[in-house]
Amino acid sequence: MRSDPRPPSVVFIGQPNCGKSTLFNAIAGPKAEVSNFPGTTTKHTHSDVKVGGRTLSVIDLPGTYSLVPFDPAEKVAYGHLFGEKPDLIVNVLDASTLSRGLELTLELVEMRRPMIVALNMVDLAEKKGLEIDPSRLERSLGVPVVTTIASHGRGIKELLDKAFDVLDRGWTVPRHGWSADVQAKLDELTRLLPADLCAGMDDIFAAVKLVETGHLACDGLLTELEPAFKADLDRIRAELEAIRGVPAYEVISAERHHLALKISEDAGRLRHGARLTWDMKVDDVIMHPVFGYLFMAAIFTLFFLIIFKVGSPLETLLLKPLGALKIWLAARLGSGLGFYLADGLLQGVGGGIAIVLPYFIPLLLLMAFLEDVGYLARAGYLLDTFMHRIGLHGKSVSPFILGFGCNVPAVVATRILESRRDRIITSLLIPFIPCSARTTIILALVAFYLGPFWALGFYVINMAVVAILGWALSRLVKAESPGLILEIPSLKVPSLLNIARKTRLQLKDFVGFAWPLLIAGSLVLSLVQYFGADRIINLVLSPLVAGGLGLPKDLGVTLVFGFLRKELSLIMMLQALGVDYKNLLSVISREQIMTFTIFVNFFIPCLSTFAILWREIGRRYAFLSVALSVGVALALSHLARLIF
Amino acid sequence: MKLTEAPFDLPLRIAAVQGGEGVRRRLLCLGFHQGDRIVVVSSGILKGPLLVRNLTADVTIALGRGVALKILVEADHA
Repeated sequence: MRSDPRPPSVVFIGQPNCGKSTLFNAIAGPKAEVSNFPGTTTKHTHSDVKVGGRTLSVIDLPGTYSLVPFDPAEKVAYGHLFGEKPDLIVNVLDASTLSRGLELTLELVEMRRPMIVALNMVDLAEKKGLEIDPSRLERSLGVPVVTTIASHGRGIKELLDKAFDVLDRGWTVPRHGWSADVQAKLDELTRLLPADLCAGMDDIFAAVKLVETGHLACDGLLTELEPAFKADLDRIRAELEAIRGVPAYEVISAERHHLALKISEDAGRLRHGARLTWDMKVDDVIMHPVFGYLFMAAIFTLFFLIIFKVGSPLETLLLKPLGALKIWLAARLGSGLGFYLADGLLQGVGGGIAIVLPYFIPLLLLMAFLEDVGYLARAGYLLDTFMHRIGLHGKSVSPFILGFGCNVPAVVATRILESRRDRIITSLLIPFIPCSARTTIILALVAFYLGPFWALGFYVINMAVVAILGWALSRLVKAESPGLILEIPSLKVPSLLNIARKTRLQLKDFVGFAWPLLIAGSLVLSLVQYFGADRIINLVLSPLVAGGLGLPKDLGVTLVFGFLRKELSLIMMLQALGVDYKNLLSVISREQIMTFTIFVNFFIPCLSTFAILWREIGRRYAFLSVALSVGVALALSHLARLIF
Repeated sequence: MKLTEAPFDLPLRIAAVQGGEGVRRRLLCLGFHQGDRIVVVSSGILKGPLLVRNLTADVTIALGRGVALKILVEADHA
């Protein structure tokens, strides 16, 4: 094996919240480039790790409940296991929810490929009063079992030793048993299996997968290629359904469920009855119908206070050198094209560093913290009622919160939603969530010139707009939503490493996607200014700006800027009006400030958001989003004019 | 009875799931099978979701009312 130039591949697979990422971190190290956002991984990342002088290619698959390609994360896991044929499977099993985790383990055992079970979080199980005997588990499953406590780094060495042992010496995984009637049907199917259809697979495993995946995998293909076999398959499925009175996939799943229960009862011993542990007591309060909401309000208030307390001084700190750099550039390059291009580049790079990141990184860190502790799922449960009123459900909560930082990763995060309908509605609503760039404008204009309560009111109205739009959209986009089915993981002590890793993954969408567009947008704007195109734009837009909104017509070009860069609208506004920030009121009234802020805030998702909408939900909806935003912005700013 | 009609804190047994394939498969994945012992722990305000604990698998999930309507349960006297 050592002479093989390709290092052996080891794939980590486990159910969500089984501590797989912590275990993976402990082995691959924090520097390993991995992707682990539930349901969002479209490809898995290999990373080569040197352990004891040998190299392993380790692969982290997204958390998956089963090996049926049902949701996007499961499709990744399924595709990988069947396509890449890893040399070793490490199944991470949460000891505290043993019997459920074993259902996935049994599915893996059916593949009969070399595997190890990492029985993780045994400390948590012991706290729950469950003592598990790994040797009994090993005997029942027929695969090696190693106990680990990944969060304390315990059992890692034993796991790696076992991994090399299995890689070097091999291991034959035995079949697990099925009830006699089900076994008979599976045997019948294996006899009918066309010779080269499932080459290289265990034939019982192939039969099981054919029965339970149904239309989710290769039914369509079979109808075309092997119509006779497909007819047999359908007959056997129908016979299985007749035996148990439930769909065939449920027959298979129930078989594993009962076997898993039997194995866990055999290997585990309950030392004491159900005892109230600390997390159950905490849960009683934070999920209480009254206190739960009070607690959540407090958490989120604190959340935003922290973000602004951290973000605002950081922003000032970072903007200062950027301003100095601009003056220096002006002195060096004069006022030619070179200066304009350099300035555009500076604005683009600097805008990301000084305006978005100071607010966005703290938001991401706090989000990752709440997710790691297990609070985000609880917030989803508490807010489900309200989300229901606007046609969504609790799982949309976390993309919305992300939207306050930057809309781009928020749109990407909608991938955790199972139904396309929910993804579309949530993605269409996200551009109406004031991101950190727009928040700077609201704070600088509304809070500064009209007072903090006006800014607060602005937010309340903004949220009302989101609610009304959601309500309307959910009536337009008619499709079935499966409703809320959300696991509430037990509360955990957060891990800094996990938080850092989640934050970095979220940040990747901003840095890799939104930022380059931001820079490109800034360069375009510089060129517009250099060639004097702003005057033409102002002229073209003046019926809207002066006539429709009652604003000075010089502000026309800032609206274009609003599309390319939301937060630049402010700076541009001052430039266009030829005043500095403190003297703004000498050229424009408070009412006009309000109208301007409303219009800039709502009108058109910024270029990066538009591009991500296009990529995630398609061109049609991206344009619908633009139409919606322009419509809402026009209606609201007009309304504001009437009221004032 | 339907899960939505079940009283809190009473041990129940899942008698049947009436939903379509999507709901059934998701529940199976999360470890909720016919015959499992469950208990409704709490519910959100204003007809919010139900918080359901599976005593067999020792997992808790939040179920929207729409989903909960499709789950039939009976009191578990064991």
